Formats: sequence, structure tokens, C-alpha cells
Amino acid sequence: MSATAPSVSTVSRASGLFGAAASTDHKRIGLNMGLASLLFFLGAGVMALLMRTQLAQPHVRFVSDQTYNELFTMHGSTMIFLFVTPMAMALATYLVPLQIGASSISAPRLALSAFWIWLSGGIIMQLGWLTEEGAGRSGWFAYVPLSNSANTPGVGQDLWTVGVILAAGGLTIIGGCVLATIARRRAPGMSMMRMPVFTWTGLVSVLMVVGSFPVVILAMSLLYAERLGARVFIGYSGAIDYQDLFWFFGHPVVYVMFFPFLGAAAEAIAVNAHKRWFGYAAFVASMLAFAALSMSVWSHHMFTTGGVTNQYFATTSTALAVPAGIEYFDMVATLIGGAILLRTSMLFALGFFLQFLIGGLSGIFVASPVLDYHAEDSYIVVGHFHYTLFAGSVFGFFAGVYHWFPKVTGARLREGLGKLHFVLLLVGTNMTFLPMFFLGNDGMPRRIAEYPNHPGWGTLNLLETVGAGVIALGVLAFLVNVVVSLRNREVAGEDPWLGHTLEWATSSPPPRHNFERPLPPITSYAPLLDLRERAQRDASAVRVPAGRGGRGPWPQEGAP
Amino acid sequence: MRGGAIPVLAWACLLAVLMTGNAVWTGDAIQIGEYGFAVLTIVLVAAALVRADRTAIRRGAPEAPSRPRVEASPDLSFAAVLAAIALASILFGLTWAYFLVYFGAGLLIMSLGRLALELQAARASRERFERGSPPERPERERLP
Ligand code: HEM
Ligand SMILES: [Cu+2]
Repeated sequence: MSATAPSVSTVSRASGLFGAAASTDHKRIGLNMGLASLLFFLGAGVMALLMRTQLAQPHVRFVSDQTYNELFTMHGSTMIFLFVTPMAMALATYLVPLQIGASSISAPRLALSAFWIWLSGGIIMQLGWLTEEGAGRSGWFAYVPLSNSANTPGVGQDLWTVGVILAAGGLTIIGGCVLATIARRRAPGMSMMRMPVFTWTGLVSVLMVVGSFPVVILAMSLLYAERLGARVFIGYSGAIDYQDLFWFFGHPVVYVMFFPFLGAAAEAIAVNAHKRWFGYAAFVASMLAFAALSMSVWSHHMFTTGGVTNQYFATTSTALAVPAGIEYFDMVATLIGGAILLRTSMLFALGFFLQFLIGGLSGIFVASPVLDYHAEDSYIVVGHFHYTLFAGSVFGFFAGVYHWFPKVTGARLREGLGKLHFVLLLVGTNMTFLPMFFLGNDGMPRRIAEYPNHPGWGTLNLLETVGAGVIALGVLAFLVNVVVSLRNREVAGEDPWLGHTLEWATSSPPPRHNFERPLPPITSYAPLLDLRERAQRDASAVRVPAGRGGRGPWPQEGAP
Repeated sequence: MRGGAIPVLAWACLLAVLMTGNAVWTGDAIQIGEYGFAVLTIVLVAAALVRADRTAIRRGAPEAPSRPRVEASPDLSFAAVLAAIALASILFGLTWAYFLVYFGAGLLIMSLGRLALELQAARASRERFERGSPPERPERERLP
């Protein structure tokens, strides 16, 4: 139980490599998972650059067709199973206990195991590169019959399958730990309807993880059996069955890759606008509806197979626009009348919302079976999901990084380098992914290593490749920023941004059991803002300071 | 804890409605099966939460406990790491080098033994704490 219950440390706090590897502190586990995910992100980014080099012009022979298949498969799988999804879980593991005033995560040993299971899966998947036949190469969804042992022979694809089983298993377990923490370890006063916005996005995400990830473990186990020679998925109906199992996980996972970053962007926006997040109750209700709907749309990935009831899935998919609209409405209403500071975290948060809109609106198009017959397997789809995942989630992730880096490390990131990072990423992202819609509309198929010299295709593809290079520069600026900020520390203090939520009411980084002082009273989902507002009211009852300009009556920070 | 099961149950209800729509509209056995699994899992999670603590289904904020609850919280767990690596080497062994299956099985047994030691040490230190003598590095005595 939270801060009121003393807990006993059974071993002194360990340091060193072993201490970091075997620590049951949720902050250490979250940090380890986040750092490992970041490494996988860099690896998958290199794969993307190799693909873009190959695609820079028609008829480039930079890599073989087979290698190109491995590259897009491993790029996509690494990004999804080893970067964005685990990063979402890492953020939740680190932040949720702090935000709800808990001293630790539920079942810490299990959470630690989960991290190692996931990491082993990631390493095993990548070991495929060292095998004779190469790494997994039947796409990130590994459709049968393409992925069976006759069509994709070799150990690499086996390792891919086992890697996915372990990675998904680890993510399921750690999701369960976060769920139990929210249900059972909130501080006194922290009712469900006082949980911070980020914690709510984490809660609906782990509900989806627990409900849907076991199904992909089943699908992969069956695929593994199929590869060993069992006849599991037979003929056309077998192929449809596999797709049904895969996408029952495959669609929810894209929302697990979205919600926590939405939560991060929302926290950054509220804090940088010096206002509480607008429409909390509607937000909570819409998150629950959003998550439930997104468990019910999976076969929109199978519209063109002729094997599913398109009407049901088109209806549910289109209905997603309603809760999504509520989120956008809340975002805009939070901004209106706020005293907005355009810090890097705010820029990334706004970038997240604006660019995700492109991803989301193109999603409404492909949610229509009629239009999807045109878009399916073309670059329209590749553009759509990169706008959601890269221009969306990754921007939300960076909003979270700039927002919480001071809490995690005790040092602020540099604003100047941060803004450079933002501009490079913004320019690079749109250069890379916007042309994909035009190429796709013009008929360029996805997953091809070479394309014909149609008018305009070479130019647009070259633009994309240059854009990918600009993205790489942006990521480099970020890494430089991290190194510079940690070497030459600008001390952050407990609460550099005038935060709203409990993680800002403890030291940076927080102590082993999170809170050493009594928690402030938890009166709403923004307890620290309540505290400041009350102090402000008490003070203004005495004397109203004049001449503050249009900035509003909150305490001013010293910081940019 | 107060309220913990409510959103889980609410979400399960939403899912059940959408699943009914799916069942009626598609009538597809696999789809109903996997969706049914998900609904059932979430309902079971809610049930487990209520079973663990009846107030989980009541609205309102958790109250401060009348008597502070003491729990032993481990700082390190090699058992957890070993168990994870054991599981991974079993699966890896199945695809690559079969002897790793045996290695992993051995490791799994070791990790369970280690877990027993860890739990025992945790219990001992909690008991000592409750008797009023906060221990200094208790596990050091027993676990290297
Ligand atoms: C760093 C910037 C990125 C670039 C330049 C990039 C580029 C590409 C390219 C060229 C493809 C292959 C398209 C094809 O041949 O069909 C691809 C596929 C894919 N990418 Fe990215 N990508 C980037 C970031 C991401 C991120 C952050 C994600 C997040 C999850 C992601 C997920 C995927 C997926 C799922 C596929 C599909 C793989 C498949 O077809 O099986 N990408 N990307
Ligand atoms: Cu989908």
C-alpha cells in the first residue's frame, strides 16, 4: 500500500550492473525496458534507411530481393514488438505507480521476469540475421501459407516466431502487473475518477493487452506447429483463420501503441498550457469506448479477402471516429484560454495531434471496404500507418521524453537542441511519408524492392529517401541532446514545469519507494494544480497583484 | 481496493455488447471464440479483484488503512531473471540447439529454488519488522 504503509527492504539497494539487471524497482524495470526499446528503434531505423536507399530510384540494386523481404519484415516487427509497444508498457511501468501515489508495482518479481522474457524474445528474433537463410521474411504479420516451412524455409523464420511468442508473453505479463497496480495500490484518496489522464490511457491499454495478446501467442504457437509439419491452417479457410487470430491481436496492438502516447501528449499539453485537461469525465468514458471498439475492428485488415463480414467491421471502424473526435475536442479546449509555453515537449505534443490527424483521417478512408479495395497493399497503407505510428506515436513519445526526462534523470534536456530535433523530425517525417499517399494512389504496391520508371515515381521516392535521412539527423540531434544534458547537467529539481500530478511531488529521480514525504491531498486528477490554485485563492483574498499582463494568475516559473 | 474493479467490469460490459453484435452479424466460430475468450478474461480479472477485496466493486476513493500494512518488498530478484532466461532458452533450444532445452529446464528448477529462498528471507524480515526490530540487510545473512 502506498505512502502510508511502510515497506521493508529485504536487501539493501543494489548498485552496479547486477543491481540494474535484477532490480524489482518499477522505475528500474521501466527504464531498462525503455532503453532496450530505444536500441531496437535505432536498429529498425537503420533497416528503414537501407530500404529507402534501395528505393531511392527505380531499378537500384543495392540489396537483393530476399534481403529486402527480410528488411521490411524485421523493420516492421522490430518497430512494433520491440519498440513502440514495449515503450508504451515501459512508460506505464515507470509512471503509473508514481502517478497514483503507490510505493511500488504489484508483483514486482513478475514484472522483472516479464522484462527479461520480452528482451530474450527480441534478441532471439534478431539472431535470425546470423542464420544461413536469413531473418524472418514473411512480413510482420507472417500470413500463412507464405510463412509455412515450404514457402519460407529456414531457422530465421522459426526464430522470428519464437521471438514473437516471448516478446508478446513478456508484454502481457507486465501489462497484467500494471493493471493490478492500478486496481490495488492507489494512494488513499485516489479514486478511479481522480487518476491522471496518462494513467487512464495506460489502464485501457493494459486491458487490451490482457484481452488480446494471448491470442497472438496462440496464433504464433500454431504457426510454429505448422512449420514443424502439423497441418493446422489448411487451404483458404485456414489462411483466413490465421488472419482472424493474428488481427485479433494486430489491431488492438496499434491502439496500445497509441493510447499511452496520447496520454503523454495530453499531460504535456495540460502542463504547458497551465490548465487542467479539459473534459475529464468525457475523456475517460471515450477512452473506455475507444478501447472496446478497437477490440472489435480487427477484420478491417481482411476486407479484401472475401472471408469476413465487411459490414460489421466497417461500422465499428467508422465508429472509432467518435471517441477520437472527443480526444481532439478536449485537446483544443485545453489549449483555448491557456497560457501556452511552446517548450519542446509542447511542440512534440502538438505535432502528435496534428500529424496523427492525417493518419486518422486516412484511416477513415481505408475503413471503407470500397475504398480499401483501391488502397489495400499499396503505399497508401504504408503512408497511413506511418502517419499514425511515426508521425503520431513517436512524436507523442518524444513529448513524453522531454516532459519526464527531468523526473527520471534529475536533469533537463536542452531546449535549443530539442527544438532542432523537433524541426528536423517534423520536416523529415512529412517528406518521407506524405508522398506515399500519392505513390499509392498512383498504384505503387507495398513490399516491392524495385519499381518501374513511371512518371514522377523516381522523384517522389527520392524525396522520401532524403526525408528518411532528415529523420535520421533529427534522431541524432536527440541523442546528442541526451548526452550533452547528462554530461553538463541543468538541475531540474522536483517540479520544473509546475506539474499537475503526483510524480512531481517527489524528488527527481524518485527514491526507491517513490515518496518519502506524505502525499499532498488528492482532490482531483490534478492534485498539485489544486494545491497551487488554493494557495492562489488564499493569497488573492489578501491582495490582488496588478499588472501581470495576459499571462494569468498562476505562479511564474524561472525556466524557459 | 475501493473502485478497482469498476472500470474493468464496465469495459467487460462494453465488450460483451460489441461481441454480441459480432456474433449476430458474422456468426463466425473463430471470431466468436476469440472474442469470447477476451470478454471472459476481462470478466475473470474483475472477479479476481472483487474476490481479493470486496470494496473493489464499490465507488469512492480508497481510504487510509487503520493500521499500516507491512509488506516485504524485494530490491533484487535473481530468481525472476533466471526463470525468464530459462524459459527463453527452452524455446530457443527448440528451434536451434536442442541441448538448450535441458539447460533451460535445469535453470528453471534452480530459479524456483532461488525463489523459495527469496520468499523465505522476505517473510523472515517482515516478521522481524513486526516484532519491532527493523533488520539491517537481513538477506545478506542468507543469500550471497
Ligand atoms: C524512421 C522512420 C521510418 C522509415 C523511413 C520507415 C520506412 C519504411 C519502409 C520503406 C517500409 C517498407 C514498405 C514496403 O516495402 O512495403 C516500412 C514498413 C513498415 N514500417 Fe516503417 N519506417 C519508419 C518508422 C516506422 C515506425 C516508427 C514504425 C512503428 C511501428 C514502423 C512500422 C512499419 C511497419 C509495421 C511496416 C510494414 C512491414 C511489413 O510490410 O510487414 N515504421 N517502413
Ligand atoms: Cu486495424
